[in-house]
Amino acid sequence: MTRTDEWGAEQVTRDLALVVNGQAVTLHVDPERTLLDLLRDELGLNGAKYGCGMAQCGACTVLVDDAPARACVLRAALAEGRSVTTLEGLAHPDTGALHPVQQGFLEAEGAQCGYCLNGMVMSALALLRHTPDPSEDEIRDALRHNLCRCGAQLEIIASVKRAAQLMQSAPQ
Amino acid sequence: MTAALTIRRDGDTFLTLSAEGTATGYNGHVDLGTGLQTALAQIVAEELELPLTAVQIVLGDTARTPDQGPTIASESIQIAAIPLRAAAATARAWLLQAGALRLNAPLSEVRAEHGHILWQDQRLPYAALLTGAETLPLDDDAPLKDPASYSVVGHKAGRTDLPAKLTGTFDYIHDIRLPGMLHGHVIRPPYAGRDSGPFIGRSLIGYDEPAVAQMPGFVAVVQQGDFLAVVATKAHLAQAIAEALPVQWHQPPDLPDLSDPVAAIKDQPSSPRTLDTTGDIASGLGECTTRMDRRYVWPWHMHASIGPSCAVADWNAGAPLVWSGTQNPHMLRADLATLTGLAPEQIEVRRHQAAGCYGRNCADDVAGDALLLARALNRPVRVQLTRAQENLWEPKGAAQIMEVSGGLTATADFHAYAYDSWYPSNRGPNLALLLTGVITPEPRPSDMGDRTIIPPYRIPHKRITVHDMAPIVRAAWLRGVSALPNTFAHESFVDELAAEAQEDPVAFRLRHMDDPRQADLIARTAEAADWQPRTTPQLRREGRMAYGQGFAFATYVHGPFPGTAAASAAWVVDVAVDMTTGEVTLSRVFVGQDQGLVINPDHVRQQIHGNVLQTASRTLQESVSFDQITVTDQSWATYPLATFPQTPQIETLLIERPNDPPLGVGESAAVPAAAAIANAIFDATGVRMREAPFTPEKMRDALGIQPRTAAPLALPGRKKRKTLLATTLGLTAALGLGALSFPLARAIPKTPAPAAANFSTDTLSRGETLFALGNCASCHTAPDGTANTGGRAIQTPFGTVYSTNLTPDPDTGLGQWSFAAFARAMRAGISRDGHNLYPAFPYTSFAKMQEDDLFALYAYLQTLPAVAQTTPKAEMSVPRPALAVWNALFHRPQTLTADATQSADWNRGRILVESVGHCAECHTPRTALGAQAKTALTGAMVQDWFAPALAGPAAQLRSTDDIAAYLSTGVAPGRAAASGPMAEVIAGLATLPQGDITAMATYLASLPTEAPAPLPEQAATIPDRIDRIFTNACASCHEPAFPDMLTAAQIPLTRAPAVRAPSPAAAMTTIRDGLRAPTGTALRDMPGFAAELSEADIAALARYLRARYAPDLPAWD
Repeated sequence: MTRTDEWGAEQVTRDLALVVNGQAVTLHVDPERTLLDLLRDELGLNGAKYGCGMAQCGACTVLVDDAPARACVLRAALAEGRSVTTLEGLAHPDTGALHPVQQGFLEAEGAQCGYCLNGMVMSALALLRHTPDPSEDEIRDALRHNLCRCGAQLEIIASVKRAAQLMQSAPQ
Repeated sequence: MTAALTIRRDGDTFLTLSAEGTATGYNGHVDLGTGLQTALAQIVAEELELPLTAVQIVLGDTARTPDQGPTIASESIQIAAIPLRAAAATARAWLLQAGALRLNAPLSEVRAEHGHILWQDQRLPYAALLTGAETLPLDDDAPLKDPASYSVVGHKAGRTDLPAKLTGTFDYIHDIRLPGMLHGHVIRPPYAGRDSGPFIGRSLIGYDEPAVAQMPGFVAVVQQGDFLAVVATKAHLAQAIAEALPVQWHQPPDLPDLSDPVAAIKDQPSSPRTLDTTGDIASGLGECTTRMDRRYVWPWHMHASIGPSCAVADWNAGAPLVWSGTQNPHMLRADLATLTGLAPEQIEVRRHQAAGCYGRNCADDVAGDALLLARALNRPVRVQLTRAQENLWEPKGAAQIMEVSGGLTATADFHAYAYDSWYPSNRGPNLALLLTGVITPEPRPSDMGDRTIIPPYRIPHKRITVHDMAPIVRAAWLRGVSALPNTFAHESFVDELAAEAQEDPVAFRLRHMDDPRQADLIARTAEAADWQPRTTPQLRREGRMAYGQGFAFATYVHGPFPGTAAASAAWVVDVAVDMTTGEVTLSRVFVGQDQGLVINPDHVRQQIHGNVLQTASRTLQESVSFDQITVTDQSWATYPLATFPQTPQIETLLIERPNDPPLGVGESAAVPAAAAIANAIFDATGVRMREAPFTPEKMRDALGIQPRTAAPLALPGRKKRKTLLATTLGLTAALGLGALSFPLARAIPKTPAPAAANFSTDTLSRGETLFALGNCASCHTAPDGTANTGGRAIQTPFGTVYSTNLTPDPDTGLGQWSFAAFARAMRAGISRDGHNLYPAFPYTSFAKMQEDDLFALYAYLQTLPAVAQTTPKAEMSVPRPALAVWNALFHRPQTLTADATQSADWNRGRILVESVGHCAECHTPRTALGAQAKTALTGAMVQDWFAPALAGPAAQLRSTDDIAAYLSTGVAPGRAAASGPMAEVIAGLATLPQGDITAMATYLASLPTEAPAPLPEQAATIPDRIDRIFTNACASCHEPAFPDMLTAAQIPLTRAPAVRAPSPAAAMTTIRDGLRAPTGTALRDMPGFAAELSEADIAALARYLRARYAPDLPAWD
């Protein structure tokens, strides 16, 4: 079936291939849907959260080809053929051992309700890959577009610092 | 699974022990993200002498947990945990007895430790004793452990929920999916956030279900009163159908003007309730030698949960199951029973964690929505609210007005205090009940305005009155409830009195404080925080910054008056005020808190941090906006929350009182916030802020600061309009005089075009390329029309023309056009039948095409599928015959001749750019007569878009590589990204051979001969509403925190053509409609903001972008 969206584009379902957390997947979907929608509703990956749908809060952050992306505004068509990493893909696939960034957030308790946690962890990962030993100001700056309503900012900053230590001491 | 030991009371289970010796505690409250689950597990583990890992807590499920009321007022630990602790003690006493019996030991000599009963050298695991199925009554008097021996309570214990939350496996309410589940999308009435008045539940006129019934995934439209929703097989389809469903509503009546909360609130009916009449207020006030009358104002706030509410319901043959993120499962169950006419016991509410709510948000409402749909469809239905629905409809934290008269005696004693508070709020009746009309929509006052309404100081004469009143817009409890605004008034007024008395504010408080425990907290906090005593404001200045320190104190009192005291908290806050912009920054917050016994010190500190940061955000920057009808803040764009860079350092002092009962800590540290900050601003600046939030605008007003604004610039737009008008008149006159003296063109007879098979594949392939390069399909396809059949409206300064049908349909298209007719149209702008084509059709460019290219294009057009489509009639102010005059004046039809001094690529590129590419049609400015100006390709407005300069100093793309990359993908990295119509052009170029791209790039790169004008640095901004919209709605993509953010803009705004355009039209179009990357380009999308921002905001945002990112260009008016 087809329909026309607000842009005048015809919406049809078709095969769309992605790599998600290292696994190749092909979905038969409407490529106009957001990546967030596909991750949650088609693949059952609940780590990324719907918060605003307008790239304002960061709760939906994933990595696409290692670059951070706000999955709520990323049409699946634009992620086609790319490699997507979600919160579920961070722990060691065999042992289940937490990624150092997850471990840092666990140890420093970087969450209250935890709804924003996905965005904080994925953004911290994006930061630490470029800046392995960030200053507190660099952490605040990197997370400036990630909202937390519970007021866990100080614990999140501490979590990122702890994650930096763990990543530096982790075997590469 | 049958428990080996169950502790019950009145039919409710509070604790079970399994045969393996593990414990499960049951509590009717819920974890709002505060770590309650962990704290309750600690309490059970402590009393039961079990490792924390052997304890589970079940929270909130109505089928499994006792009804302990809503999770409000910070009372979970203080009140709701008490029976759980007694249940654990009951179980421990039984285990000790059973163990003593089994070990044949005296009861006084056995002890419990780490899941074992110990006697002498014998260790008996609990499991060995848990072999039956025993049930015991909960013994409220079971002996409790001595807090001095605690090893779990009061000690560090990691949050039990974090591992699952960190791996994406925690089941939030949003993550619940049932087999066969459908998805509902609600359509709310236009009276967003309103809850009383005869229009509630009675505003729906009608809707057109057949209009959407064929859409993919459609299942049903469900309606009852003003409750309206679409159900579909998938959530995104439900939303698409809901947005497409035509619905008519009655226009709601206006709201009072809520931008003036004092008038709006005091105009509403209210009933005074006087709560404290100590002394004689009239004579007391009369005796004051210093008398002050003050009014303090608190705004409406949002709970602003990061995740919009969600629920799932299954009708389950009349015994419904409802999965919900509610704060109050049992209260919700009662509401759902009213909604459905079932008995509460027939409904089971299963509580899952949601995003932190801090009060009554839409969690309960969406559960009502889901249940109505599940009943209608007899299938499980999930409803997820959108961000806008949550923001518009959540019961707000109420605005509050506090009026105070009070004063001092000659000896500076606090002598009299008359206090009146208006709090338009209630308990948020379930929206489904109101929309369906199951309950009547009369105003419903409540009694929650009296929290912490009695100031803690010794005052001989008092009259304390709360004016109970119904909400004006939906309002219910939000963290700190009325205690926060009440304390804003009390603690600001006390500070004002201390200043009048020229006494240190902390010393003044202590001198009037009788309660030793509260006095101890005040004194110890001040000392630990390094409080600087002062008798007048310190007014410390360094450069443009003023620094100050403020104090405030409160005991949070909740529950029906006189209420129960939770923890007490005192704030010392250091602020910096920017005396140029009015921005207030918190540099350090020190909180001392007395909460009796501490269950988990880390988690108490986390609650303090959360209270401080959330309430600082509310106090400094948050307030809900309204228009005449409704709430307007649909997203974080206009309701911004404080962010990481604004986070102050926070230090805490937890007073050690292990022998006092634990007190609630969920809200206490929030309560002194606003007064402490206001008092610190006074210390820094000498200005009293009595109306929250303390935004830069309000601070500038209070401080008498004029914001710096750019000097008004000449308005080129207006001038230009005049010129245009004058020459338009000239044109009409010229045409009117001359038109008839020009011969009109003859018709070329209809001739069937050759069949496609008559053309060579090379010719057709070349034609297809040229067709793409010319982007013919873009203009010749209507927005919802069939490809290439024309009918697209093209606005010109002289009216509207419509593009024609290019397909070979014999009657309406080109099927009867000979090549000669086609060539004439392309070169001379004359249609086959002899009438002049308007120059919106770029024949002035096409005239330069080589003959063989023109033929290839003609050939290709004859291969398109023929579709009959008549072209609408043009609506133009210039008659067609007059175009002949225009052509005589401006049209120079001749093919280009090669320039021997240039390369073959250059020459080829020139032909492509200037003829079929018709770049000049958009990129060359037009004269008032609509002809191309001599300043070829120097940039021009095209309808609501801007085609930037390709030549001249403003041209940004200058290298062949950059231009080739841009033409191939839409993006020259870091330099330019196509948008609007150009993005479609790029998509059309995808089939162009690389050689043609290189040729065009070679030619275009040769055009700019002048040195490039340097791009400006961005200009400083003034913090105001528009600056905040940019920061919260735009900056995540346009000033991204990560340079490689995949969803961010591809070029800085300093390079954006829309910002450097002569008029704001392109910028406004982009903000309003967003951008959509055409398939085949490397471009990205941008969401549109038409739904979130008013036209006035969009215009102001465009002006802001211009001033900030193009400060070298004239400001937009």
